[in-house]
Amino acid sequence: MDTFGTTGSGTGGSSQFSSDDLMDKLKVQLAQAYAQEFLETVTGKCFEKCITKPGSSLSGSESSCISRCVDRYIEATGIIGRALFNAPR
Amino acid sequence: MDSSPLQSAEMQRFLSQEKEKAMVNEMVAKLTNVCWDKCITSTPGSKFSSSESACLANCAQRYLDMSMIIMKRFQSMQ
Repeated sequence: MDTFGTTGSGTGGSSQFSSDDLMDKLKVQLAQAYAQEFLETVTGKCFEKCITKPGSSLSGSESSCISRCVDRYIEATGIIGRALFNAPR
Repeated sequence: MDSSPLQSAEMQRFLSQEKEKAMVNEMVAKLTNVCWDKCITSTPGSKFSSSESACLANCAQRYLDMSMIIMKRFQSMQ
């Protein structure tokens, strides 16, 4: 079964990934890397804001602070993106 | 050996596009990080106040202004 190189159109069956396969894989990996980095940043920021005095368990107010903080951080990312690239300068 | 998928024009275009996206992404992430600390001083509420969102947008734009000034300053030192 030739799973690789099916779109290579006669380059001597050198079993390479086709460009499309490779690009799809890269896209997935990049998306994962971006998500991972974002997750780490948000976790750090919201820990700083919401868990000011760590107790023996997360309190209800801490949990709700965390979910608001995550929402606001996502919103802030949108505001910054628009300010950089959509605002008339 | 120019038949390698890595060297195809399509792949080159894809890579430079992704490179640009990564730079934009990194810039936005960095400024969000910095401006969040500057502008969001209280515990996050269920909505940004208008001064908070204005601060975020201003923060990003002033950062760009500042990096321009610093770049020019460095160029004039050479």
